[in-house]
Amino acid sequence: MTWLAIFLIVLGLFFLVVGSIGMLRLPDVFSRAHALSLTDSLGAILVLAGLAVYEGFNMNFLRILVVLVLIYLLNPVISHATIRAAYRSGLRPTDKESR
Amino acid sequence: MNTFFFVVLTIITVLMLVYFYRVVRGPSVFDRVLGLNGISTKAIVLLVLIGTMFERVDMFVDISTGYALLNLVGALAIAKFLEERGASSK
Amino acid sequence: MRIFAGFALFVLWLVLSASYNILHMATGAVVASMVVWLSPTGAPHVRRFSWLAALMYVPWLIGRILKSGFHVSRLILDPALPIAPELVRHKTKLSSDGELVVLGNSITLTPGTITVEVAPGELIVHALDVASCEELKSGLFDDRVGRLFSVKGDKK
Repeated sequence: MTWLAIFLIVLGLFFLVVGSIGMLRLPDVFSRAHALSLTDSLGAILVLAGLAVYEGFNMNFLRILVVLVLIYLLNPVISHATIRAAYRSGLRPTDKESR
Repeated sequence: MNTFFFVVLTIITVLMLVYFYRVVRGPSVFDRVLGLNGISTKAIVLLVLIGTMFERVDMFVDISTGYALLNLVGALAIAKFLEERGASSK
Repeated sequence: MRIFAGFALFVLWLVLSASYNILHMATGAVVASMVVWLSPTGAPHVRRFSWLAALMYVPWLIGRILKSGFHVSRLILDPALPIAPELVRHKTKLSSDGELVVLGNSITLTPGTITVEVAPGELIVHALDVASCEELKSGLFDDRVGRLFSVKGDKK
C-alpha cells in the first residue's frame, strides 16, 4: 500500500514539475492555461490520491477525498472564467502563422 | 516515510516559487491571475501534506477546504472584474 | 428530494467533523436541516441523469485525462516546443444547461483543450495542438455526455 502511495505521489510530482516548466516556456495566456490544467487535474489530484492511499481506508481517506472532489469540480470553473475574461477583453492566442 | 514527505514538500515549495515568478513578471494581468491560481492549488496540496506529516489530517483538511472555496470566490470575482473593465493596463 | 439533500449534507458534516459526541452530531443535524430549510424549493431545472452512467463516466474521464496528460507533457518537454494553438468552433447537439456544464467542465479538465465561450449548441475551444483538437472533433465527448442524460421517462 505504501509503495502504491509513493508511486502515485511521484507521478503527481512529475506532472507538477512539467506544469511549472510549461508555465515558464509556453508563449501566451491561453497556452499557459493548459499547463495550469495539467498541474490541477493531474498533478494535484494524483498527489492527493497518493496521500489518501497512504492514510488507509478510514475516515481520513474520505476527508482527503472531499478535497479531491472539490478540486476536481472547482478548478475547471476557475480556469474557464479566467480564460473567458482574457478572450472577452480582446486578447487573442498566437496562432500557427504568427509563430 | 517522513523524509519522503519532507522532500515532496520542498519540491512543491520550489514549484510555487516558479509560479510566483509568473505572478511578478507576467506580461498580462491574466498571467498573474493564472499564476495565483496555480499557487493556491499547490497550497491546498501542501496543507494536506503537512496534515499527513503531523498526523492531523482531520484538522488540515478543513483548512484546505476553506482555502479552495475562498480561492474560487476570489478568482471568480477577479475574472468578472477584469471582464467588465478590459485588460487595458498591465 | 429535500430529505435526501439534508441527509447528504449531514453525511458531509460527519466526514469533515473529527469528534463524534452527541453535541457535535446534534449541531450537524440542526445545521444541515437549517440549510435545507433556508434554500429555495424546487431544484433549478436539473435534468434527470442516470447514476449508473455517471459511475461509468468518471473512470472513463480519468483515463482520458491521463492519456492526454502524457501527450501534453511530451509537447512541453520537447526542446522544439511543437505546439500549434488555435481556437476551434465546436458545434454540439447538446443544448440544456446540465449537459453544457458537464461537457465544458470535462473539456477544460482534459489537458490540451480549454473551453473559452459557451453558448447552447456551440462551444469555442482553445486547443494546444492538432492531436488534441482531432480528439475533440471526433465527437466522443458529446456522445458520452449525451448518454449521461438520456434517461427514459424524462419529461423535459
